[in-house]
Formats: sequence, C-alpha cells, structure tokens
Amino acid sequence: MNIIETKDVNFYYGDFHALKGVSLDVAKNSVTAFIGPSGCGKSTFLRLMNRMNDLIPETRLTGKCLINGEDIYDKRIDVDVLRKKVGMVFQKPNPFPKTIFENIAYGLRVNGIKDKAFIQNRVEESLKSAALWEEVKDKLSRSAYDLSGGQQQRLCIARALAVKPDILLMDEPASALDPISTSKIEELIFTLKAEYTIVIVTHNMQQAARVSDTTGFFMLGELIEFSDTKKMFLNPSKEQTQNYITGRFG
Amino acid sequence: MDKKLAQKIAFWIFRILGVFVVGILLWILGFIIYNGIGVISLEFIFDAPRDGMLKGGIFPAIVGTFCLIVGSMIVAFPLGVMSAIYTNEYVRDGKISRFIRMMTNNLGSIPSVIFGLFGMALFVNAMSWGDSIIAGSFTLGLLALPLVIRTTEEALRMVPDSLRVGSYALGASKLQTIRYVVLPTAFPNIVTGLILSIGRVSGETAPILFTVAAYFLPKLPSSIFDQVMALPYHLYVISTSGTNLEAARPVAYGTALVLITLVLIINFTASFIRRHFSKKLGGGH
Repeated sequence: MNIIETKDVNFYYGDFHALKGVSLDVAKNSVTAFIGPSGCGKSTFLRLMNRMNDLIPETRLTGKCLINGEDIYDKRIDVDVLRKKVGMVFQKPNPFPKTIFENIAYGLRVNGIKDKAFIQNRVEESLKSAALWEEVKDKLSRSAYDLSGGQQQRLCIARALAVKPDILLMDEPASALDPISTSKIEELIFTLKAEYTIVIVTHNMQQAARVSDTTGFFMLGELIEFSDTKKMFLNPSKEQTQNYITGRFG
Repeated sequence: MDKKLAQKIAFWIFRILGVFVVGILLWILGFIIYNGIGVISLEFIFDAPRDGMLKGGIFPAIVGTFCLIVGSMIVAFPLGVMSAIYTNEYVRDGKISRFIRMMTNNLGSIPSVIFGLFGMALFVNAMSWGDSIIAGSFTLGLLALPLVIRTTEEALRMVPDSLRVGSYALGASKLQTIRYVVLPTAFPNIVTGLILSIGRVSGETAPILFTVAAYFLPKLPSSIFDQVMALPYHLYVISTSGTNLEAARPVAYGTALVLITLVLIINFTASFIRRHFSKKLGGGH
C-alpha cells in the first residue's frame, strides 16, 4: 500500500518554479531517499509532506499530495494534526533549551497529554527506539545542550518518534555530524523502518545507497528518475542519473 | 603611511577613547561618593526628613521611588512584552510591523517632560486620579514602554528559527510554540531588558513632576491614589529651592548617592540574571 502519493506537483517560491510536475508513490515501511545537486528541489519536496513550506510566505502549490489517501492540502486538514502524523528531523540538531526529558515530552504535552506515567513510559520508549537510552538514562534532567552533536540529533529523532508518527521525514540528518555519529544514524534508520515510513534527503550518495529501498533523483526541480535503489545505482535508465552518481557533475 | 603604524595609531585612539568613557563614569561616581558618603547613616536611609529637609532622612522618597518602579513596570511589562510578541512573532516583516516599530522608536524619542505633561492631562485631570502613585506609574510606564518593547523584540529575535520550526514539526500551534519554546528561551534577555528599563525609569524627574511627586510629605502612602516623594524629585527640590541651599548640599549629595546606588544595583542584578540563566540553559546557540 502506498502511504504517500503525489500527482503532478508544481511548487513556486514567488516566480521561481521550484518543483516541476513531480509524481511519485512511497510504499509503507520503506526507506525512500532523495538525491540531487543543491537547489534541485529535493528538500522543498520533502517539506511539502508536512506542510513546512506553509511557513514561507509567497509560495504556491498545484497538483495533489496524498497521505494515507487524504489530500493534505485540502482546506479541512488541520496542519497541527498532519504534523503529528508526519514527523521531521532537520539538518542541524535543534533540541529545545530544556532538559533531555522535556525535549521528548514536548510533543506529547502540546498534543494535550497530561498523564505523567504515560509520558514517562513514552519518553523511555522513544529514547530506546532512537538508540540513546543507554547513554542518557541517568541524566534525563540535564540540559539537552550538554549532549554531543550526534546525541542531539538522535534526541531530535526520539523527540519526533514520541508522538508516534506514521512517516518520518529526514532532511540531511547526518550532514552536520562526524562519521561515527553518521553511521549510528544510518543503523537507526535501518531499524526504524520496521515501524515507520522514512523519507530522507541526502547529499551523500553512498548514504542513499546504504539506507534506502527506493531512490529519487532530482535535478532543476524535476524528478529525473525514481526507482529501486539497487537498480538506480547499478543500472540507471537515464543518462543524467548516470552522470550524477558517477560524479561527472553536481 | 606604513600599515603597521596606522594600525598602532588607530588602536591607541580607540584605547584612549575607551579609557575616557570609563574615566568619566568613575569620576562622576567618585565625586558623588566623596561628597555624599558623609551623610549616609541608618537615620538618613530610614527616617523622614525634618527641619526644612536639612535633617532627618529620605525614607519616604526611597519608598516613593520604589512604589513608582513597581507601578510603572506593572503598566509597561505586559503591554510591552505582548506588543513585542505581536510584531516579532505574528506580523514579522510586514508593513504593520514596520509601522509599529517606527511608532515605537518615535515614542522613545519624545522628551520625558512631554510625557509628564501628557500624564498630567490624561491621568491626573481627565481620569481625575489627581497627583497619585497610579498617575505617576502610568506616566512612567508609558515612558518605559518603547525600551521594554525594543529589548523584548531583540530577545525574541535572538531565539533561533530552528527552534520554532522544530516545535511546529511536532504539531505545536503558534501560540504553544511562543508559550513553551520562544518565551522560555528568550526569558533571561527579556528580564534583563526589563530591569534595564527600571533603571531608566527610576531616575526620571520630569514625568513625575506633574503627576505624583510631593515636595514634602513625611507620611508614607497608604493607597495608590496617594502622592509620594521620590528620589530624583527630592534631589531637584533640595538642590534648587529652599532657604539655605548651602546647608542642603550634603543632603543633596547623599540623596544622589542613594539614587545612583539603587540604579547600579538594578543594573548589576540585570547582568547577574542574564549570566545565571544563560549558563543554566547551556548558553551558546
């Protein structure tokens, strides 16, 4: 079953045509990677799915973007509810200046959950899912800023998982991290796939090859190729894809 | 000219100017302390003035200034913080926010004596509050408003957008994001700005002249509709009127010393709070 379906999506920043007729489907419990040169539209496309682009003034969208069969740009959609279902991890770790515990509990609290025992359990569960529990279980009341960059990013993943999203969007989640932290994030993506659908934007082609089932290659706002990751990297059907993944440009 | 020599000269000019600024401050402080320390005693601080204000203390003026500080902050703080939240979080870079910002800057450059006259016309007369703590507090509050708005806006602007976006991404509404992420993060800087505006307000004379300040009133206020003495006005009175100005000089310097000490304490508290909280939150970012 396809959890995400987009049909002929066009997106504009003012006069700039950032996405040109993008149509693709994402299967449930899969990892999809978007690659492509800077400014190709891959991050813009990612941010469409939790309507983060709404925050940027003077943008415009045409086409359809369905999640679980529902048009998320329909007037009746509550953006706050959508964002609870479609979590997001950003390029730079952005923990709140709060304790480790409160960072995870935040998403629950703003969604109206007050039950202390429930919150406590969910915090532990989320930190375990994000492979951070062992490192922080004795210092949950310390500031999140005391953690290293890699730990902060896993904290942000745990924070997103705490509200039990269906989909997890990751916008270059490892680009600000060292190689060891990066490999931890990649391992994490691999295990999270069992429960979540993951869409990841990355600059790093090896990373896309390692973690994803399906890969989409964007260039100048167009989805050039969208196929099985193995096929994409071993035997791409378009010359542009071939040139990009062999490093001939980009 | 030789590059190195030019650099040396420039550096020395900056250094001399820097020392000059600090020097002036220390000079004023030293002058006030030297002339005022003689009259400072428990009696001076905790007693009412008597014998044509040449004897006794300045307790009623200290209490009066304290009442006015609290009162003006009750007026300026909610108004200023909410207005800054509106311009910085809701309308951001639109025409409305630019207009409000321009108006705020204009309000900030109005001479304080005009605030005094306006306060007299509106609060003392039109609202018939008379010369009272409440009229003075509103007048001083309006005077402090631009400063509170500007410092709050700066504090809000220092909160990185990545935190706001992170909050929205978890399904938080705008109001929740402001309440639980933006304000707590900006809090130390907001408080610092607030305390600095208290420092500014506590030394003002003109706005309280027509709205609250009493020439001589040894009794302490019992309601917000009472008049009070206040340190800056008291200083003005004993320096310019009265039959024996020479004899009043030490009292004037003593009053000045108390006032300046009060303002310095307020400013040091501000920087202490800022450092304390930014350390607690992990600083940086």
